[in-house]
Amino acid sequence: MQIKDKVLPGKLLLLLAVILVLGGLLLSGCTVKSKPIGWSGVTVTNDTLFVASLEGELVGLNKSDGNRLWPDCSLETSKGTTAFYGIPAAEGDLVYIGGYDGRVYTVSSTTGYRGWVYPPDENLEPIIGGLLLSEGKVYFGCNDGKVYAINTAELRKEWEFSTGDKIWSIPVISGETIYISSFDKKVYALNAADGTEKWHFEADGAIASTPLVYNNTVYFGSFDRHIYAVDAADGSLRWRSEIEAGKWFWAQPAAYDNVIYAPNLDGKVYVLNAENGYELAAPIELDSPITSSPVVVGDKVIIASQEGRVFSLDTGSNLVPTAIFKVKNDDEGIFAPLVASEGVIYIHAQTPKNDTLYAVDAETGREIWVPVSLS
Amino acid sequence: MEWWYAGPVALMLNSLVALSSYLFGSLGLTIIILTIIIRFAMYPLTVKQLRSTKAMQDLQPKIAELQKKYARDKQRLAEEQMKLYRESGISPAGCGIPMLIQMPIWIALYQSIIRLLAVTPEDLLTLSKSLWSWPVVYTMVPLDNSFLWFSLQNPDTPLAVLVGVTMWLQQKMVTPDTTDPQQRSQSQLMLWMMPLMFGFLAMSFPSGLALYWVASNVITIIMQYFITGGWGGLSRAKDGKTVIKASVGKGSGDLKKRIAQAEQSASITAMEADIVIPASTPEEKTGGESSPDKLRGISYPGGAKTIRHQSKRSKGRRSRGR
Repeated sequence: MQIKDKVLPGKLLLLLAVILVLGGLLLSGCTVKSKPIGWSGVTVTNDTLFVASLEGELVGLNKSDGNRLWPDCSLETSKGTTAFYGIPAAEGDLVYIGGYDGRVYTVSSTTGYRGWVYPPDENLEPIIGGLLLSEGKVYFGCNDGKVYAINTAELRKEWEFSTGDKIWSIPVISGETIYISSFDKKVYALNAADGTEKWHFEADGAIASTPLVYNNTVYFGSFDRHIYAVDAADGSLRWRSEIEAGKWFWAQPAAYDNVIYAPNLDGKVYVLNAENGYELAAPIELDSPITSSPVVVGDKVIIASQEGRVFSLDTGSNLVPTAIFKVKNDDEGIFAPLVASEGVIYIHAQTPKNDTLYAVDAETGREIWVPVSLS
Repeated sequence: MEWWYAGPVALMLNSLVALSSYLFGSLGLTIIILTIIIRFAMYPLTVKQLRSTKAMQDLQPKIAELQKKYARDKQRLAEEQMKLYRESGISPAGCGIPMLIQMPIWIALYQSIIRLLAVTPEDLLTLSKSLWSWPVVYTMVPLDNSFLWFSLQNPDTPLAVLVGVTMWLQQKMVTPDTTDPQQRSQSQLMLWMMPLMFGFLAMSFPSGLALYWVASNVITIIMQYFITGGWGGLSRAKDGKTVIKASVGKGSGDLKKRIAQAEQSASITAMEADIVIPASTPEEKTGGESSPDKLRGISYPGGAKTIRHQSKRSKGRRSRGR
């Protein structure tokens, strides 16, 4: 009691303030070190699907019925599991995927056994965009702002190219040229053979969106809320959209019949003339932000919103979105890019802890097989 | 809590981004400048808080005496304490309430920095929800996270040490000198616990937060220097004495007078303690060695002068009071 008496009211208040500050710090601290969750896309080969789960496992599935090809293929290392944002890439007997831990993993597509890892003894910065496989090389952008080309036969780096900021997009190849965007507000065209720069184009905002190469033009959306069209040969600006979206362009745009469909985090899809960037219709409003890159199936553009709804846009006369599918669990959202094959859309939906793979008919929205729980 | 993130945090966050457009897009520089702006905007509250804290410290010896005197009569003790506060013109809540008022602003700033330091794609998507439709905001984000020798997204040990050191200096300046062992141990606990805790947190949090803490601590040190008049406990530590040269300094003349008046009206038994009155005029500050006086049992923490050297004006007022 004597001690209590000696504490001044002012000190009590000070102590209360300290407790509140520390409480606030601790509460906020929960968000300081947010753990990367990941949202891997799906790769489709002739008979199989590959996708990375939230548990850090590379899952191989039978395309026809969704059955697993192997029981378990955890990519866990001594440092634990990692998150995967990119789309796996498959070539020959190997499936490749880049992890948030800064390593490229390979897995046998038939047995699920782990193959080589690059770099073998260290970690790069996080790899968030997916990988591009072409002619014996795997290309990827990294959080350290570099583009890497790795020789898959000799497991050595063929070249690297430095940009000014982190890279979260997937490299795209057209002919002998690699196109990749960076947070330094630029899109680069690089020689696939040696990584030398052909040209770069600078926008007004950072670029997370993977470029789309269509009709010799590179289309991409920027954080400055505009869509750009740049000549694929020399990087000259063809047009910059007059419309200014509500938020960032994050997903890769889609193109069909000379029309660009650009989803935005404001929950709208902007429909632009691919030739001149003019708006062809009022923005199509969906129910929530769009992170997932859309896919073209036949004459329809299929787009998924974060809320877990999948919409079909008839590219003919009617641009009214038709909701064709909704994920079963209301807590699930769709962040990963959509993938389509033979009229079927593969949707990787997730909560922060669980994820599910859906196979849905692009025309009707009917589920092709029972959803597969991946985690 | 949606309103909190959509309101105060979003306001702070968008202000940070907009400000960064004038500061080369550097998040580090923006954190420092906004911290300075906010601290100066809250200057009146800070002054009130620091002065109240200082006054409470100055009254501490008298409180201790009261506690001794009325150790067995809690009610009387409370009454006498309140009387002393009233007569000294001090509100016990004066040091805590301004801090509580400022706290939401600090927390909003802190949380907005966390959001701006988006590391993962999920973080960046969350950040996009907080951005307003100001054209500059969308083109500036994500901000440049490199600053001086460190990345604002990653913990940095030298910066964490700097957090601890600046916080210790800040705490040391306001740590009262006391002869009471319990109060001394409390003060020592505060002096070491906070710097160690924040230094430890800084070693695991992104450096952007550590930078904010360092900037905030340095500003507080500067404010304390000018508001409470000097280095406080730091000069005491430097001199190796048990009292500091000027505990109630610039801008606290009225307070000193009120305390002096309170001394007279509060009928406190003389104690075997040194009387040390703070010096306020230059001549007093240089006026000879301190000579412990044992007249009234009043010890002014930090005062380097005895009652003999008290200002004439103060003495005069006291005699008039009699």
